[in-house]
Amino acid sequence: MSEQFDLIKYLNDSVDSLLDYMKKKSPERLWMFEVQKSQWGDIYNAHRDGKKLIYVGACVPPELIFAFDCVPCLLDAIPTRLASQPELSSKYIDFAEQFVPSTMCAIDKVDVGTVFSGDMVEKPDAFIYTSYPCDNSRAIYPAIEKKLGVPTFVIDAPFRKDDRGYRYLADQYKDLVVFLEELTGKKLDWDRFEEVMDISNKTNILMDKVSTLRKRVPCPLPSRLLVLNELQLQMIGHPGLLKFFENQYEVGMSNIENGIGAVPDEKYRVTWLQNMLWSNAGIMDWMEKKYGAVLIMDAFGYQKAPLFEDPKDRERVFMDCGRKALASPMIHGASGPAEIYLDLVDQVMDEYSINVAMFVGHVGCKHTWASAKMVKDTIAEKYDLPTLTMDIDACDARYKSTEEIREIISEYMESVVGAKALN
Amino acid sequence: MENLLTYSGIRNESIEQWKREGKKTVGTICCHVPGELLHAAGLLPVRLRGTGCTDDSEGEVWMSSFACSFARSCFEFLLNGTYDYLDGIVSSDGCSMATRIYDNYKYYKRNEDSTRFYLKDIGAPRLYNGKHAVPYYISELNELKKGVENHFGVTITEEKLKHSIEVFNETRSLIRELYELRMSDEPVITGEESLKITLASMTMPKEEFNRMFRDYLTELKTRKPLAGYRARLMLIGSAIDDPEYIKVIEDRGGLIVCDATCYGNRQLWEPVAYEGDAISSIANSYLSRTVCPRMCQVSTHNSLYEMIVGMVKDYKVDGIIYTKMKNCQVWGSENLYCEEDLKAANIPLLIVEREEIMTNAGQLAVRAEAFIEMVEKGDK
Repeated sequence: MSEQFDLIKYLNDSVDSLLDYMKKKSPERLWMFEVQKSQWGDIYNAHRDGKKLIYVGACVPPELIFAFDCVPCLLDAIPTRLASQPELSSKYIDFAEQFVPSTMCAIDKVDVGTVFSGDMVEKPDAFIYTSYPCDNSRAIYPAIEKKLGVPTFVIDAPFRKDDRGYRYLADQYKDLVVFLEELTGKKLDWDRFEEVMDISNKTNILMDKVSTLRKRVPCPLPSRLLVLNELQLQMIGHPGLLKFFENQYEVGMSNIENGIGAVPDEKYRVTWLQNMLWSNAGIMDWMEKKYGAVLIMDAFGYQKAPLFEDPKDRERVFMDCGRKALASPMIHGASGPAEIYLDLVDQVMDEYSINVAMFVGHVGCKHTWASAKMVKDTIAEKYDLPTLTMDIDACDARYKSTEEIREIISEYMESVVGAKALN
Repeated sequence: MENLLTYSGIRNESIEQWKREGKKTVGTICCHVPGELLHAAGLLPVRLRGTGCTDDSEGEVWMSSFACSFARSCFEFLLNGTYDYLDGIVSSDGCSMATRIYDNYKYYKRNEDSTRFYLKDIGAPRLYNGKHAVPYYISELNELKKGVENHFGVTITEEKLKHSIEVFNETRSLIRELYELRMSDEPVITGEESLKITLASMTMPKEEFNRMFRDYLTELKTRKPLAGYRARLMLIGSAIDDPEYIKVIEDRGGLIVCDATCYGNRQLWEPVAYEGDAISSIANSYLSRTVCPRMCQVSTHNSLYEMIVGMVKDYKVDGIIYTKMKNCQVWGSENLYCEEDLKAANIPLLIVEREEIMTNAGQLAVRAEAFIEMVEKGDK
């Protein structure tokens, strides 16, 4: 009988291998991998370190989990991590399609596949999920709850992002504290929570600074870092993420001082208006080299997170948790009324001096596809830019080959934008 | 007596009469917009649907081919004038697709005078009777009440709301009577006819519907039992607003005796219990009803599954047809929760994918016939 594959161990071991390799080959880029070691290493070692491992969905404040000295494992981070390894992602997608429709978002299919296959070997101590970000996750999280059979807490995210919605979340977060106290057998240590909030605030301030650096022409930071910036969904409040942004800011500032851009000759400033193309992130490198086109900002990765305004104000803190949750990547644009998504797109277009807009649409994200015309019309009306529309699967590389994607982008860049290939 | 069925259309004489009298109509999206509140304002709430849509190409331009075709069809009808009698739309976030019908239409009308068409979306919590969910929903409903009052220049008093609750409860009670007739060993009404009645209830002025339906029920009770059907079936799944779809199944010998669908029984059964004040009563009632898998806690509070199994027993159902609208994620994965249990309970189950536009009637007929034959033989 073959031994059960331990996915988390594999991810942890993979990062170890990468770290070893980078130490020898490119030590100046080690910081990009150390943060991933913090991410997967903590999850893998949670039980070995005597900590509770908690599977979480979006809108669950990581700061609160860290304050209880528990380890959050954002289920949706696994599909995005595996997307670049089609042999693994496709295994879980195919497995999941025994239970769910093939039209379901591949992020959620991988979630189902990893849990239902048994490859998430170590059972978590609890599961906390919310009704966000979409119908797909709402459909599968309860099934995962049933499969796991561990203590579970469910949070209902509000439809709108306003004070009523923040209050609704805040009230539920207070109940979450009670759940976590029962789970851990410990009362919430507010001093510890304040420490975590301090790290969270410092990280968010740096994230904002990093985002501001990307507004510079030329952009001093490469496209690909936008992918790693999404780690904030799981790791905000973790010292490893703070260190990552400190390094990123330092590199960005250094590049500015030395007159270095993400590419030697930045020709185009690109935005992607839907999900990140995790299944083919190399496309970003290719766009940089071929057209001098840098992905400056993507709509779902766009970051302007609120801070904990007063960590000592216990009422305000939970409201801020709500504000932060609803302003987090993907949630801010994909969930709730489309008007918010359109405002976000407008901000990205305006603040980052974008001159090439691409709706690189993940097929599983149907409600954002159902907003695509509004997004494109908004850009056309205000910025007089035609938007490329391309369907992709952000987590299933089998959907469209690299060649197909390159061809579509090339055709658009050369015939619509008027770009010339640099090589 | 057959007149009631002619009122099941999206456009029908009762709406035209209503408009001729200078009164206003408001389209509603999904089943968390309380019709009682609009009724109390003197408005005619009409639940949006895409029944009979044969071309959703403009809907697809706006919402893409990845959107569910029910939503695309509803939007198509908004664009092509089918719903030109509406004076406003109130939406709840039943699912992401429903939300986008509203969002796109709001965007479509962005340059028009907002005083001429009322647009409002409300949040509907996804926790049954959650201690924070009900107050949140009450706040949303109070905001809707104020908005309706301001836009239409009316005052919605507690008395009016109480009266509207009574009128709507009467509709629910009459629908329950209809379903009890379908429970009989010798049913007198087809599933197709039943759906037309529930559609009419969502499209006509309630008082008129109640009056006509009372007479209709009296007539139904004198009918001869239906003959010639080979299996008693239940329909579950995504929004089914097209009687033609049911007709295809019934033409093959399967009688639909009950359903758990949002245009069928689901939102019509439970009365709103008036306790304290009207808005709170509505909120409590609407958040305790069994609705579609949009709600969380499905695995631990699976009242939908319990309701389905209960109905199978009560209606002596021989088999269930579970229709999933393509791209409907909330219903698309419901088999994660109930397929295994239904099989364990020895309840035959046919799962079919459907589109709002009836392009697969032939395929449905073949599959339905095979299923009916299987059920008839007692195969599981």
